[in-house]
This record gives sequence, C-alpha cells and structure tokens, in this order.
Amino acid sequence: MKHEPAPDARRDVGRTRRGAAWAGLALTLAVAVLPHVASAGRAVSPPIEPRGLEGAPVHVVDQKPCVGANDLARLLDAAKYWRADVRKLELRSGAHRVQLTADNPFVIVDDATLRLPDPVRSVHGELQAPVALLDSLPHDSTLARLLYDARRGMVLVVPTSGTVGTPRLSVAEGVTRLTLPVDQPEDAQVVSRAREHFRLRFAGFYAGGAADSGSVGLVRGVRGLAAVTGCAFELRIAPDAAAFRLVREPGRVTLEVSRAPVAAWEAFAPEGPSGPRHLRIVVIDPGHGGADPGVIDHGLEEKDLTLALAKRVRTELERRLGVRVVLTRDDDRAISAEQRAEIANRARADLVLSLHVDGFANPRARGATALCPPASYSGASGTRGAPEAATLAVLPWREVAARYAVQSRALGEAVLTALELRDSGPTRLRETLPIELLGVNAPGLLLECATLTNPADRERVSGDAGQDAIAIAIADGVEAWQRNE
Amino acid sequence: MSAFARRAVRVAIGALLFAVLAWALWHARSPQRGANRAAARPDTVAAGLKAVRLYFAAPSGDSLVGEARDLVEGGTLHDRVTALVAELDRGPLHANAVAALPAGTSVLHVYLDDRGQMTLDLSRAFVQGFHGGSTAEYLAIASLVRTVADNVPEVKRLLLVCGGEPLSTLGGHLPLDRPIDVSDWP
Repeated sequence: MKHEPAPDARRDVGRTRRGAAWAGLALTLAVAVLPHVASAGRAVSPPIEPRGLEGAPVHVVDQKPCVGANDLARLLDAAKYWRADVRKLELRSGAHRVQLTADNPFVIVDDATLRLPDPVRSVHGELQAPVALLDSLPHDSTLARLLYDARRGMVLVVPTSGTVGTPRLSVAEGVTRLTLPVDQPEDAQVVSRAREHFRLRFAGFYAGGAADSGSVGLVRGVRGLAAVTGCAFELRIAPDAAAFRLVREPGRVTLEVSRAPVAAWEAFAPEGPSGPRHLRIVVIDPGHGGADPGVIDHGLEEKDLTLALAKRVRTELERRLGVRVVLTRDDDRAISAEQRAEIANRARADLVLSLHVDGFANPRARGATALCPPASYSGASGTRGAPEAATLAVLPWREVAARYAVQSRALGEAVLTALELRDSGPTRLRETLPIELLGVNAPGLLLECATLTNPADRERVSGDAGQDAIAIAIADGVEAWQRNE
Repeated sequence: MSAFARRAVRVAIGALLFAVLAWALWHARSPQRGANRAAARPDTVAAGLKAVRLYFAAPSGDSLVGEARDLVEGGTLHDRVTALVAELDRGPLHANAVAALPAGTSVLHVYLDDRGQMTLDLSRAFVQGFHGGSTAEYLAIASLVRTVADNVPEVKRLLLVCGGEPLSTLGGHLPLDRPIDVSDWP
C-alpha cells in the first residue's frame, strides 16, 4: 500500500534527527564493544566510553575530582560573568545562577549558600569546581541534569531518558529477582524471552557500578550491554525456569523469574535443539513492487530499496554459504502474497526472508524490526498451543509457517543481533504472523531492515555503503542461525 | 339523612378516593417497588465520568504507552466504543507518546455477538490516513485492540472492517481478514 508521509511529517524528520540518532545507538554500540560476562560469578560488564553523550572530562586538583568552570557553563548552557576584583565567576542559566569564588569552598546556588567539602581552585586561569557541586544544583526542566561518572572520569549531561543503576539479584520464596533503579521504568522492555538470550532494554543509560554476581537462583549469568543513551542486559536463565514478569514501579524495575508456572506471568520462548541447520535454498522476497511502492520518504520508495538490498543479500549468501538463492521478484512488478508463498514453496525453501524498509510517523523512531510467527499461536479457529505438537492437525494451511515458529524466532534474534553489531539498531522482534509468510512452508521472517522516515537510517539504507553493511549483517545473521551453536 | 350528613359522606368518599390515588401514584414512583420498571429503561441517560485506559505508541515505535483518562460514560456499547476511538484519534495528552491510529478514524458501527466477538466498522480514514511500515501498522492495530479489550472486557475477539466492507490488511504487512484474538496482542 502507499504510505507517503504528510508534508508536515517530512519537515519534522529534519527537525528531530539528532534525538532519534541518540536513541538508536543504544543497544548497537554496546553489543559491539562490550566484553561478555559469560561465566557465573562475574560482574556486569562495565559500560563503554559514551559516544554522542554530552559530557566533560574531570580534572584532579589536589587529589580531588573537579570540573572546569568553562565546561560547567557549556554543559549547563550558562552565560559567564567574571569579576576579577573579587575573583568570582557567576554562571547564569535561565532563572538559575551559580556563583564560584576562587580558593573558597562556599558557593551560591540560586539563593542558597553552600559549603563544598573542598574549595574551588584556580588552575591556569580557569576555576575548577569540586564535583560535589553537582549534587547541589537545582533539579528542574530548565537546567540540564549533570552526573559525575567516576568510572568514566567524566561529568555527563543526563539525557531525558534518565539513568539505569546497578542491577541486584536476590532470591525469596522461590522467585529470583533482578532489580534495577531506573528513572523511567515505563520504558523497560523485554526484547527477547528466550532463556539463553533473555534481554531487557532500557531507554536510560547505564550509570551503575559493579553488579552482583551473575549467578543467583534461576539467573545463571548477566551480561551488561551499555551504550550512549540506552542500555540492555542479557541474562541466561536456568532451563527449569517456567515463567517471568517485569514489574515496573516508580524508580525501579524488577524482573521476577519463577520455577513454577504462575497465572498471568509470561512464559519463556521455547528453543530448538542445537547443531547445524539444513540450509540449501534461501528465498528472498523484496517487499512491495509495481503499483505498491511501500513507504515513500524524500523521494525514496521502499520497493526499490528492498529490491536493491535483496540482490546484495543474494550475492553475499551465495558467496559465503554456497546456497542457492531465489528472489520472488528481480524487477519492479507487483506480486500477490499467494504468489510469493507459491514461489517459496515450489523452490522448497529452507529459509524465507521478506525484506522491507519501515516507516513511522515519528522521525525519532529508527532501527530494524523482525516479524516472525508466534511460538504460541491462536488462529481464527481459536486453537492454541505449540503448533509443532498435537495442534498441527488443525492448523490452517495459511498459518503453516507457525510450524517453524521456534526456528523463525531464532533466525530473527540472530539477524537482529547481527544488525545491531553493524550499527543498525535498535532492534525489536515481534511475534506475529505477517501476510508475507501466510502459506509459507518454511522458517521465515519479515525483516524491516531500517526505518526510512528516520534521517540516519534513510542515509544508510539509500547509500551503497549502507546497503552493503546491511546485506553483510543479514548474511552474518543467517550464517549464525545456520551454525546454531 | 340530613343534607349536612349527605355532604359529609360525599366529602369523606372524595377524600378516600384522593388518598387511594395518591398512594397508588406514590407506589408506582417508589424507587424500591418500581425497580423493575426503572431497569427496563434504555441506558442512554447515564451521565457519569468513567476512568478508561487508552493506548498510544511510544515515540520510539517500540511499544504501546498506556494513558488513563476520564470520559463521560456513554450508555450503549456503540457510544462507549465510539468515545474510546475518538479519544485515540484525539491523541495522547503526554509527550511520552504519539498517536498510533490513522488521523480521522471514527466508528461507524459496532456489533458484539454472544461469543465475545466484536465487529468494529471504522471510517475509511482508517485506511486512507495510514502512512508507514509494519511498525506503524502493528501499533495502530495494537492500540485499537488493547484499548477496546481493556475497556470492554467482554470482547474476546475483534474483527475490523472499514466503511462496511471487509478489510484484508491496513498497510500490507498484517492480515486483518480474520478476527483478532485480543489475547494475542498483549
């Protein structure tokens, strides 16, 4: 269908591109750079050096951490007024003012006089304020919130998404709990519910310290994934864990894991056996085509981008895996969902990838999304349960892809992880059967490789280098799925 | 019998009749004894405020964001669902969410069968106003499904139609030709 954004929406794209870029970098950078905490008993991985997060280095003066007055003024977006006769510097930002005096521990913040543990020093003509000052700055929406990050040795501007603190593990009454202090609990998400790769994602950036042991109760390991303005944690959950729930309370988020099934709690995703998967024929479906351009933004049409991308993925898969790749279309023409399924089934596909490019009204939204058949599926007939078991007999043919739900979800996680590693995040996996997989008798995904309405993603997906990077990432994911280690 | 006595009898009979009539009228309008008649009245006269929970999209497109709001309670099912969809179309009041429903969407008809399947007939703006990819499509449907399911708990499945005609899909990624099991859209 045609989805050209309104002119207003297109103008908004440009206005908010920086905000979207920050949000999207979160999981991506972390997965790429952070070392894993693979074994139990180690702390959560330390966060990486923030990139894109506004901050200033801390200087050590008389063995005390200090922040320079010029940096402080920049971070607070304040004007500076210097009185040389009394060696006083006043920073004014909106209705707020901070007055520093050289070699004096007393500072004036708005109308209050405070005594810092150490005096303000003058080094090479610039005042250096002890970082303890940051705790005394007013907290309101008109003034940037500053945080002293001792591990990074920086003073950081806390993004609007807030911070995430140190996770703590505990066990009580048979329930294992992972609790994190979180400024914005409503943004916490479970992005993968597989026991081996259980992932929590937060909009805030990780400002915590060393965490508890990674193996307590039903949690066998915690891997910290920190990044610019967001962070994530990957947990290894014990195989005998049955259910979980995420409890969001003011100021904190708690993941509760239970060995016994609990009504209204969520179940973990089922997982298939390990070992290499049979992969000989891959069908790639370039989304849309012909009279159906898909998402249109800045003169770019989804149907063209998906076709170009499909050809690159074909080249990459043939070269690396030696598989036969079939495209459902190799030119600009419309084909129905039934025709796409027929092509895949006639080719006896071992894998079907329907490539798309996403679009959303808010240009801040970015990243990749995969849609795969749900592992617990209820069709129109009202049947429920794992389709690979007893309900197979009543599964309508159009929902046959649900037979491969476990493999499809594993494929989705592998491909999305690979995309994150190549800076195409954040990613999200949705377990819902898309039209493109109706009647497809193979594991498959609908993959939104990027978000065309986001400026950074649009630049990536429309350029040769960006398309190559996405194609390589998809091939990485397919290869990892095939190895199934 | 004297004339005075006959007049007194007539006055007494009149007073008795008046008392009987007054009692009958009071009896008929009594809230306790007239409960059956009151319950049979159509429920369109209620005018209280009712807390509802609406679902919009997170600005990142990751998920839904719930928002509590007080609505003037409509009496009929049609009124209630129409008000809910109108509020979704109006958009969120807070900055931490964006509207998920295509602009201008409204309710034409609502039908709920005895098995909990609701058929929701939406205006053509639902399709014509849609822009975006599968994320926008997923969140538009999820917003509608979750809002209806949370506020009309008797709904178990939801069939979306548009302008009185069947709807196969909204944006080409998710099938809508069959009823949606609301429990599949947490």
